[in-house]
Amino acid sequence: MGSKRIAKELAELTESPPEGITVELANESDIYQWKVYMDGPEGSPYHNGRFLVKLSLPTEYPFKPPSVSFGTKIYHPNVTNDDKGSMCLGMLRADEWKPSSKIAAVLEFARQLLVEPMPDDAVEGRIAEQYKNDRARYDEIAREWTRKYAMA
Amino acid sequence: MSASVSASASSNFPSDARSGPLRRLSQLRAYTQNHFSSQSSSSSSSTSNTNSQQPIARRHTFSSRVSWFSPASSASTGTESAHPPVGTNNPAPCPDSEPSSSTLARYSSVLFPGYRGFDLDLRSQNRSSESSTSPPSSHEPRRTQTQGRMARLRGLSQTPDTRPEVDTTPASAPTNLQNGLLDCPDPVTNENSSSSPRPKQKATIRFFPHQDSHGNSRPSLPFIPISRTLPSESSVIKVGRYSERDGLPVANPTEPSDAPVGFKSKVVSRKHCEFLYLNGQWHIKDVGSSSGTFLNHMRLSQPNMASRLYTVKDGDIVQLGIDFRGGEEMIFRCVRIRIECNRSWQQQPNEFKYGPHTESLIKNLGKGETADYSGCRECSICLGSVLRPYQCLFMAACAHVWHYKCVSRLIHTPDYPMFQCPNCRAYTDLSAEVDDSNDYEEVEQKPTSTEEQRDSSQDRRSETRTPQLETNPTPEASNSSQDSVDALPNSLSAAAGLTHDVGTMHLNENRTSRESDDETPRVANPSPVVTGSIGIPVPTASALQCRQAQLRADTPVRSESSDDNPLTPRNDSGPLVFDGRASMS
Repeated sequence: MGSKRIAKELAELTESPPEGITVELANESDIYQWKVYMDGPEGSPYHNGRFLVKLSLPTEYPFKPPSVSFGTKIYHPNVTNDDKGSMCLGMLRADEWKPSSKIAAVLEFARQLLVEPMPDDAVEGRIAEQYKNDRARYDEIAREWTRKYAMA
Repeated sequence: MSASVSASASSNFPSDARSGPLRRLSQLRAYTQNHFSSQSSSSSSSTSNTNSQQPIARRHTFSSRVSWFSPASSASTGTESAHPPVGTNNPAPCPDSEPSSSTLARYSSVLFPGYRGFDLDLRSQNRSSESSTSPPSSHEPRRTQTQGRMARLRGLSQTPDTRPEVDTTPASAPTNLQNGLLDCPDPVTNENSSSSPRPKQKATIRFFPHQDSHGNSRPSLPFIPISRTLPSESSVIKVGRYSERDGLPVANPTEPSDAPVGFKSKVVSRKHCEFLYLNGQWHIKDVGSSSGTFLNHMRLSQPNMASRLYTVKDGDIVQLGIDFRGGEEMIFRCVRIRIECNRSWQQQPNEFKYGPHTESLIKNLGKGETADYSGCRECSICLGSVLRPYQCLFMAACAHVWHYKCVSRLIHTPDYPMFQCPNCRAYTDLSAEVDDSNDYEEVEQKPTSTEEQRDSSQDRRSETRTPQLETNPTPEASNSSQDSVDALPNSLSAAAGLTHDVGTMHLNENRTSRESDDETPRVANPSPVVTGSIGIPVPTASALQCRQAQLRADTPVRSESSDDNPLTPRNDSGPLVFDGRASMS
C-alpha cells in the first residue's frame, strides 16, 4: 500500500509540481528515495539558488514521516550545517506527523521555511541567533552561500 | 440505609388511608416504582393527561421490587445548595412548563426537605413524559424522560423513610399526589432552568492517558479512556484512588453519569481532585490531595490543601501525584490525563448526524463534491477513493473514512481502544458503548420527518415500559383515574405495535441494563456521592439499590448491552446489590 501511495504522489507531483519544486526519483528502481530540486523563493536570500533536497521515505510511509535533507549546502537556522544537511520540520516529527499529510505539503512547507525560518525551532542555534539579532548579516551570508553552492 | 422496602409493583395498590406526607410518600414511591419498572414509561400517547394518569400506569407496570434506603441523602441537599452553578432547590411553580426539567439534575437538586418537592418532581416528570407522548413534540420529551427516569430513581432512593408507607399507601395515593401535590408550586423551577439547556448540550469530559512526549519523563499510569457526561450541571466527578471496595469502575457509561473516577496508583489520594462544570466550562479543583494535582505542569495546591477552581480546556494535561520510587512499579506511577472536553461533537451529538453528518456522509460517500465530504471521498492513507469494490470501510466518530485495510494498523495499536484520527487527530474510544440517546436527538431535529422515526421512537418508549403496561387497552382515557393510567401505557405500546412482542420486552430490558450501567458507578462509590458537597445529593446507595432491584427483576436482557464492552463490566452492580439486600433485610 505504501508504495502505491508513493507512486501516486510522485505522479501527482510530476504532473503538476508545486511552484519552484521539481521532483524525480534518485534512482528509478527505488521509489523511496527522491531527489527534489527547490528554487530559492523570491524575497529570500536564497533567491536564484537551486537546492537539491533529498527526500527519504520510510517503508512504513505514510505511517511514519519522510525525512528531508539538503544536498546543497545552505545557510539556514533549520538546516544542519554539516554534510547531512538535515532539516528539522515540525510536521515531520513523529508525534506531529499525520498519515494524511502528503509529500507535496511537506515540500511546500520546506520551501516556505526558506522564506520564513523558524529560529525558535532551530537546529543551528548560532544562525538562529543571528537571524533574530542581526538579520542583515544573516541575509548577507545566506546570499553568499547561495551564490557559492546553489548556483553552480 | 436502614431499611429497604421491596414492593411488588403491580401487586399492591391499596387505598391510601394516609394523609399528608405519608400519602405523598407512598404515592411517590408507587410512582417511582412504576417508573423504574417501566423506566421510560413516559410515552403515553395522550397529551393532555393529568399527571395522575401516568403514575398509576407506572404503578401497574412496576413489576420489579424496589428497595429503598433512607440514607443520608437528605443531608446532601444542604451541600448541594452550596454550589453556585447548580440550579438547586428553587421553588418552581410549574413543573409543567418545562418537560425537560425532569432531568436528573433536577431531581438530584431537588432533595427533599419535604416529600412534597419530590412529588412535584415526579409530576413534572410525568408531564414531560406525557408531552413526549404527544406526537409532535415527542422528541424532546423522550429524552427528558430518560433523564427523568434516572432522576426518579434517585429520588426514590433518596426519599428517606417512605418505604413502609409505600406498602401501605397504595393506589389511591398516586392520584392524589399528582393532582393536588403536584400542582403545588415546586422547588423544581431552578432545576428546570438549568436543565432545559441540557438536552442540547451535555457536559461531557473525557480522560485519556497522556504520555509526555518529551522523552525525559517516565511513562505514566496506563488506563482505559474514561468518559463522563454529567447527569446534571451540579454533578461533580470525583477523582481519586481506585479502591476495590468501590467495585469495578465504569469507564464509559452510556448515559449521563458522574461516577467517580478511580486510578490504581498509590500516589493518587483517595480524594484527589474533582471535575465540575460551571457556566459552560469545565473546572478542576484539588480537594486536598497529598501528592498534588498538576494542571499543565502547574501544581494547584499545597499538599493536603484544597485548591480553588481552575478552568480546564480541551487538550489540557492533568497530572495526579508524582512518581514515587522512580515510578518503576506501576502502582507508584503518577497519572497523566489528557482532557478532552467541550468538543463540538459533545455539545451537539447530532452534529455528525445532521450537519455534514453521518447520514449525508454516507450518501455522499466517495463523491466528495463539497469540502464537507472531503474526508469521505478519499482514503487519506492510500489516497485512493474510498469507494472501491470489495473494500471494507472504517468511519471514525469524526466522520473521516478510510479503507479498513489502510487504517487498520492505526486501529490495532497498543493504545486500542483509543483511536486517533490520522486526518484530524480527534480521539475516539472504539470501545465506547453505542449511545442511543442520539436517536432521541434525531427525532428532535427532524420532528416531522418520517413515520419510521416516529415509530422507532415509540418503540423505544414501549421498550422502556414494562410488559405489564400493555394490559389495558384504553389508550386515551387520560386524566385522574388509575384506569386512565393503565390506558396510557397501552396506547403507547399499541402505537409502537410492539406491545405484545417479546422483542419489546427485550428492548426494555436492554434499556434498563443500560441505565443500570450508568448507575452502577454510583453504586460503586456511594459514599462519595452522598458526602460530596457538590455532589448530586440524590443518587446514593439507596437509589442504586432500587436500580439494582429493578435490574434483578429485569435481569434477563440486561447483559446484552454491556456484554460486548469490556470496559463496562456488567458486574459492577453485583457486590452492591448484595449490600443493598443485606441492608434491606
